[in-house]
Amino acid sequence: MWNVIYSMVQRKERPEDFEDKRIAQVDNGFFEKFGSLFREQAEMAQTREQVEKEQVAEAAAQLVPKEDDDEEPETPPASVDSETSSSHSQIDENEFENDFIATAFNIDELYTEILYIILHNVGCDVNLEVPQNSLFSYAQDAFRVPHNKHLQLLDLAEKKEDPELIINVEVIEAKDLRPKDSNGNSDPFVTLYLASNTSHRYNTSVKPTTLNPVWEEHFALPITDKSIDDTLCLEVWDFDPAETVKEKLGKLFDVKGVKGMRKLVKEIAVTAATGQHDNELIGRAKIPLNTIPASGMTMWYTLDKKNKITRQGVLKVRICFSSGKNNQVAAQEHRHIRRIILVHELDVSKPAAYWWCENFGPEANQLLTQHIAQSGLSPTEVALCSYSVYAGIHQSHPLSFCIFSKLLEKLLKPLQTEMILEEDMKLFWEATRKLLPSCFAVIRRIRKKNANEKTVMKQVIEVLKIFNYVMALEPTNIDLFPQNLYPWITFHGDDPNCDIAGTLQDAISKGAGDWLNYLIENNKATAETALARLQNLIQLLQLVRSDLQKAIEFYDKLFIEHVNFQYAKSLYIFYQAKISTLCEPEVRQICKNLKTLDYSGYDFGNGPVNTDPTVDPLAEGTSLFDLYLTIQRFVTSGQDICPSDYNGFHIKNFHQWFHAGVAQWLDIAVYKALQRIEKAIELDQLVHIDTSVKYSSSAVDTLTIFYQVNTFWQQLNWPNVESCYTFIAKIIDDICRCCIFYAEKMASKVDGMGDIENIYEKKFEVTNEWCLAINNIDYVRETLEPFTNGLGMEEILKKILELKSPVDAQRCRDTLNMVISNAIDTVRNAIIELLQTVVQKMAPSMKRLLIEGAELCNQDNNSIDRLMSYVDRNLETMHRELNKENFNRTLEIVWDMLSQTLDEIIQTNLENRRPPSFFANLQKTLKLMLGAYKDPTDCTSCDSLKRTEQILRINGLETSDLIHEVHLELAKKFDELPESPYGEISFRCKFDGDVLQVEVINARDLAAMDSSGASDSFVRIHLLPEHKFSSIDKPKTKTHNKTLFPLYDETFTINLSPEQREIKDGLVLLSVKDKDMLGYNNQYIGEAFLRFKDIPITSESLSNLPQVKKWLGRPTSFEMDTIKALEHRLGDKQAKEFLKKFKQRLAS
Amino acid sequence: MRSATKNPLLKVVILGDGGVGKSCLMNRFVSNEFDEHSFHTIGVEFLNKDLEIDGQTYTLQIWDTAGQERFKTLRTPFYRGSDICMLTYAIDDKASFKNLEIWRTEFSYYADLKDNNAIPFIVVGNKSDVSSEHREVSMLEMETWCNENHITSCIETSAKNASNVQEAFRMAVQHWIRLESRADKNQTIVNDTVNLSKNQSDVKTSCCGGSGDETN
Ligand SMILES: Nc1nc2c(ncn2[C@@H]2O[C@H](COP(=O)(O)OP(=O)(O)OP(=O)(O)O)[C@@H](O)[C@H]2O)c(=O)[nH]1
Ligand SMILES: [Mg+2]
Repeated sequence: MWNVIYSMVQRKERPEDFEDKRIAQVDNGFFEKFGSLFREQAEMAQTREQVEKEQVAEAAAQLVPKEDDDEEPETPPASVDSETSSSHSQIDENEFENDFIATAFNIDELYTEILYIILHNVGCDVNLEVPQNSLFSYAQDAFRVPHNKHLQLLDLAEKKEDPELIINVEVIEAKDLRPKDSNGNSDPFVTLYLASNTSHRYNTSVKPTTLNPVWEEHFALPITDKSIDDTLCLEVWDFDPAETVKEKLGKLFDVKGVKGMRKLVKEIAVTAATGQHDNELIGRAKIPLNTIPASGMTMWYTLDKKNKITRQGVLKVRICFSSGKNNQVAAQEHRHIRRIILVHELDVSKPAAYWWCENFGPEANQLLTQHIAQSGLSPTEVALCSYSVYAGIHQSHPLSFCIFSKLLEKLLKPLQTEMILEEDMKLFWEATRKLLPSCFAVIRRIRKKNANEKTVMKQVIEVLKIFNYVMALEPTNIDLFPQNLYPWITFHGDDPNCDIAGTLQDAISKGAGDWLNYLIENNKATAETALARLQNLIQLLQLVRSDLQKAIEFYDKLFIEHVNFQYAKSLYIFYQAKISTLCEPEVRQICKNLKTLDYSGYDFGNGPVNTDPTVDPLAEGTSLFDLYLTIQRFVTSGQDICPSDYNGFHIKNFHQWFHAGVAQWLDIAVYKALQRIEKAIELDQLVHIDTSVKYSSSAVDTLTIFYQVNTFWQQLNWPNVESCYTFIAKIIDDICRCCIFYAEKMASKVDGMGDIENIYEKKFEVTNEWCLAINNIDYVRETLEPFTNGLGMEEILKKILELKSPVDAQRCRDTLNMVISNAIDTVRNAIIELLQTVVQKMAPSMKRLLIEGAELCNQDNNSIDRLMSYVDRNLETMHRELNKENFNRTLEIVWDMLSQTLDEIIQTNLENRRPPSFFANLQKTLKLMLGAYKDPTDCTSCDSLKRTEQILRINGLETSDLIHEVHLELAKKFDELPESPYGEISFRCKFDGDVLQVEVINARDLAAMDSSGASDSFVRIHLLPEHKFSSIDKPKTKTHNKTLFPLYDETFTINLSPEQREIKDGLVLLSVKDKDMLGYNNQYIGEAFLRFKDIPITSESLSNLPQVKKWLGRPTSFEMDTIKALEHRLGDKQAKEFLKKFKQRLAS
Repeated sequence: MRSATKNPLLKVVILGDGGVGKSCLMNRFVSNEFDEHSFHTIGVEFLNKDLEIDGQTYTLQIWDTAGQERFKTLRTPFYRGSDICMLTYAIDDKASFKNLEIWRTEFSYYADLKDNNAIPFIVVGNKSDVSSEHREVSMLEMETWCNENHITSCIETSAKNASNVQEAFRMAVQHWIRLESRADKNQTIVNDTVNLSKNQSDVKTSCCGGSGDETN
């Protein structure tokens, strides 16, 4: 229903919505801001969304600091987890350190191996071959070997022959080492050599600060047949107590870039190689080779020290012989080489963080390929080596994630199906452990503003692939996510944590949480006012919403595709909880402290009076509603994102937080509506908005405003029915207020229009504007009912019925109906009031013209014409401009006013003893007027006017006519008597030519006039009007004494003149009197009238005619208009005499 | 439909604790009915009633509010623009009397009262029909409270036996008329104490003599 009207309104609207905008301007588009998008709702919603997005993007761009790509490569643990404890970062460092030290201590050996490989170039594609020389110089560069050293080692490599026999040593671990440092610990490493060649030493890495180090490092020592008598020496040393490796490596973190790191590593290597250190021997084990069985063995060896009897600890080693290079050794070697080459490559090409993607130079490629070929490493082994090396490097210099996902793809199958050494497995998981933090960092920092969104997406895809592969490997019992590295993890339990999905969930929450906290921190409300806090929350929510939007649009699909993880949902769940905790207390508090809108009356010129300048309840309320809508939108999106969890969300009941604010919103809505109405009226030009309608712009604008209030209500979408019911009652009441306000303002706008004042006269002419004003108000009134239907009253009442009881529902319905009808009535009254004002304004002119007409009727027709044309003009205007209903209403009021005016005129003029002609002229004037403008059949409600007219007519009669009027009136009255206390008379009557014959037959049940209970009655015959029959005797019957049933039986024949016979309203009066004994003072018993026109005309004998019976009657009071008129004729003798007699005839 | 005559419209709000009999008072006044088992009001109820005083007919628009606490935020929007506020309690419920203070404050706050001199309050103690052993608030207490709060009109009523119900509303309107004329004259020479004592004697006579003869 409402929509129909609305579309009607729209059609009628001018093409340009100029006024609307201007109306909206009065309050900076209040309703528009509410999102009540009057026209093009959908379209605007879209643009709004767009604008919002842009705003959000902009805001976010401002908030999130731009990443400077030239800066230090991202070190996620350092920057993000700055709060993490030092203990965990230490472990991190230690791991880091191990790799490099391992590299360092075997550097010469490795270099020799590389040279050897270059010399024995096999298994390479000849075409791609890089000249040997460049390989040498590349290697020299990569290993940073001075030239003389290079020559020396080259010499060594050239002499080197394929060993006949190799002794493979794995240094596994040591236990219960003697502490060497003051802190009760040691930094142990192991040196291996054959007694026959003490200068050719092999070193393990240094394990800092431990007495139970685990190395698990492999060494291959070439031996000859004769060295079967040789002895393998294993020495455990405490490393450089003057400056611990840890301290040195501590420096590592101060040094920027790969280059610096390399330098330091080299320094350590040099220290170790040159022996310029203060190492201290912990203990030594000597193993004669001939004690080792051919099948090999694993043994715990006791460590001795010269001059020391006490045990220095035990060392576990695995020793076996083989003829070729051991696979384990080769793999370890390969890892070292790959690492050194990679470090070198990174150093030379300096790729950006996360950029390097296994794009080695040709030399590097050839070296690695050669090493693989010559060591006989399988692709799986190579992949594993690469994975492990890259993961290590990745920690300090992030590499592209795609390397890892590719390697994992390669490794997945073998790891799942092949028999992989436990050690390799361990290596793999170790590497994975190193890799994962950076992966989760990507997830956590998904919101980072990078120049290139595509890169982020790609990174996310790769990372997700990595997760997918790792999950496919079903890690069990591996502590992938140590609590200290992942302090944000929610996993609780003593078992090792390897739950990737769970960690992913946590990472997502953590990322969102960090982001949110960042926003909150850097986006503090500009002031401590509620308004600022609200706007702050809205901004925050918008950012969150746009983040969710992005999650849905971009990431959700990826997460589902790769890891079957509902990213958006998980994010939503996090946000909803967060927003709840963020907003609820704030909103509740603000609602509680809301100041009432401080305005009284409808004075909007200066806006609400504000007592406290720091608090603007209007802006606060509006922002509060804005926040409400923002949360509402957020909650609605939740229904789509997480349909199954939705019902458990705390935020679902966010309405309750705002409960105390709704009243304020209603207040604001009505305040704003009133303000807009005022503006609409101000702008109204009072011209038809188009030719087909009879109202002007402000009416349409006001409807628009109502529609906006309705939209506001729809948007509120309040869930609680009891509240809804009450709010609707309030809104209806408010809209009624708006209607009345509109009526008042409209009236005052046209007030003064049409008043004409010049030197000749002062009068009022009805103008089009007046008519439009009336139509406008009526038009607005008409919308009240459809408006209330549009509020959804029926549904709410239905819900109350279900929720409470039929009785309650009925009471609510009654109240609403009452409020509505009350509203409609009130507005209707306002219209009538306005119409009355119009008519009232016309009254003086009409009155004057009427009087002039009465005075001058016969002499000066001009005056009548003036009156006529005045009424004509004004009624014509109204007839043209007003709708039918209001025109008819106006007429009614006009007639009402006329009769009042006439009454006054009559009254004053009677008092002034104006002659009957005055009243007759007045009546003539009135008749003219009515005749012209009033369809007599239409006169349903102008009784008062009729009466006035009647009075006018009576007063216009000459006295004798007036007297006859009394009799005519009495005749009519007596005819209607149902019975009479005075008795009944029977008679016959006829006209025969000009002769009247009356036979008085009898009377019965006459009133007793004597004390004895009888009467002495006779009947006298009068012909009326008296003055016209003065020539004729008034015959009477004989007196019949002492009876109430007299039999008169007398016939009278009266000859009339033809003129007398023709008198239309002539009357025969039979007057029954009681004869006074003296005959002077006969008393009236009763009277009966017979109209001339009722008397049969016949030549038949009277006796053949039927008897006529009539009740006898008597006038009952002076309360007759005719009598009153006579009473005013004080100077009239005839009147005076009649009244005197009349008094006698009166019923006692 | 209301007649088109321009009766002055008066907005009356009835406040008071849940169950003191606000709805019953209104129904007794408007339709002369009494429902022993009346339900708690949801939010608000609304009725119209014409009342003639000294030849002038006033149209009362009566908003009966829900007294229960959970409806607080629902009823307060209706306070604004009211001409008269009936503060209601039940004479057999001390707590409801004690709460008048809260009601008065709530009304003043949300009605946005400007002129503190023109307080449109009238205090109504309902359920005057209960037997004296159940009475918890005496007439004197009511009058004292009114005195302290500068409220000049108070009355005890019974919606059940219709005693003083018409009088209460009549008194409210008369009170309003007095305030209006005072505001019109725009002067403050009216002596409150004199007025008060006069009023109280009025009340007393109507209370004492008024039992049972109001069932019209
Ligand atoms: N004895 C007695 N009981 C009454 C009187 N008026 C009301 N009651 C009873 O008091 C109870 C509550 O009356 P209501 O009019 O519904 O109370 P209310 O003040 O409108 O309550 P809310 O709508 O919850 O604010 C009903 O059971 C009535 O029968 C009275 O004058 N005398
Ligand atoms: Mg109630």
